[in-house]
Amino acid sequence: MTRAQQTISIALLVSSLYLSLYLELVPLPALVQTAIVPVLPFWALVSFGAWVLFRLGWGMLTFHDTPEAYKELMEEIKLAQADLRAKGVSVD
Amino acid sequence: MAPTKTTGNDVYSVILPTFNERQNLPIITWLLNRTFSEQNIDWELVIVDDGSPDGTQDVAAQLVKLYAPHVQLQTRTGKLGLGTAYVHGLQFAKGNYIIIMDADFSHHPKFIPQMIAKQKAGNYDIVTGTRYAGDGGVYGWDLKRKLTSKGANIFADTVLRPGVSDLTGSFRLYKRDVLEKLFQSTEIRGFTMQMALAVTAKSQGFSIAEVPISFVDRVYGDSKLGGEEIVEYAKGVLQLWWST
Repeated sequence: MTRAQQTISIALLVSSLYLSLYLELVPLPALVQTAIVPVLPFWALVSFGAWVLFRLGWGMLTFHDTPEAYKELMEEIKLAQADLRAKGVSVD
Repeated sequence: MAPTKTTGNDVYSVILPTFNERQNLPIITWLLNRTFSEQNIDWELVIVDDGSPDGTQDVAAQLVKLYAPHVQLQTRTGKLGLGTAYVHGLQFAKGNYIIIMDADFSHHPKFIPQMIAKQKAGNYDIVTGTRYAGDGGVYGWDLKRKLTSKGANIFADTVLRPGVSDLTGSFRLYKRDVLEKLFQSTEIRGFTMQMALAVTAKSQGFSIAEVPISFVDRVYGDSKLGGEEIVEYAKGVLQLWWST
């Protein structure tokens, strides 16, 4: 099963479940039926958007910078250049 | 080639596609030689150069001589791209393990022994370096670049749910037969190929482990990432979503 098949199948399942609520095929308290069910899709969309943004922001906050790796690398480059020049390799 | 004492008959082939890497190539080779020699690991380096106009092949020839018999140079006549360079290089690689990495020091050879150890520990089919988990990290990215990369990762992660923390990373160790099988399983050959390989591998049930790496962004040379690449990337993700 491809990712697309999986996603579409789950989407169809969720849609038919939602449709059964929307078309009042399942008895629900009146308040839920009129105030909550109609806005569920928008709520889901906004929540999803908020989740993605949160992940992005969290990723930025916790991004690990590695200045030590950079310093170490610069030293190694100097070592390598010296060694290579001595052995006759053209190094800038 | 005589087998070494520590890793038995294992030979690790590094495939390094190059285009205008005249400054980086000797140093990355020096680092590879140092890492593998220190660890007593049987290794080879396959440089695949796409007709670089800056003299990369001249330097490569010098390295072939200096580090014989470990280094070989394979040339192609034009800028044919990263994905096909890997496939081309694999034809000439003699190892039973293949390491894919970039030539610009963003992937430091010092992580290769860690990847090898990790692979042995769990007999994993693939070990991939990750910038986003454990103490993996990056040096030299401004906020825009971080946003782009993390955004791209979240996009791919949401659409594909691959179970790999750094899907766009291209510092990887593969079992040779696994890589050969993956090359046959996916036709994607652009720079999104590494992503395609990981997703295809997951869907075929191969095991993937991760090793945190520090990624030092371009010290010399220009990056080849632009707006066009971002569109190609999005198309690659969607194509994978549809077909894998």
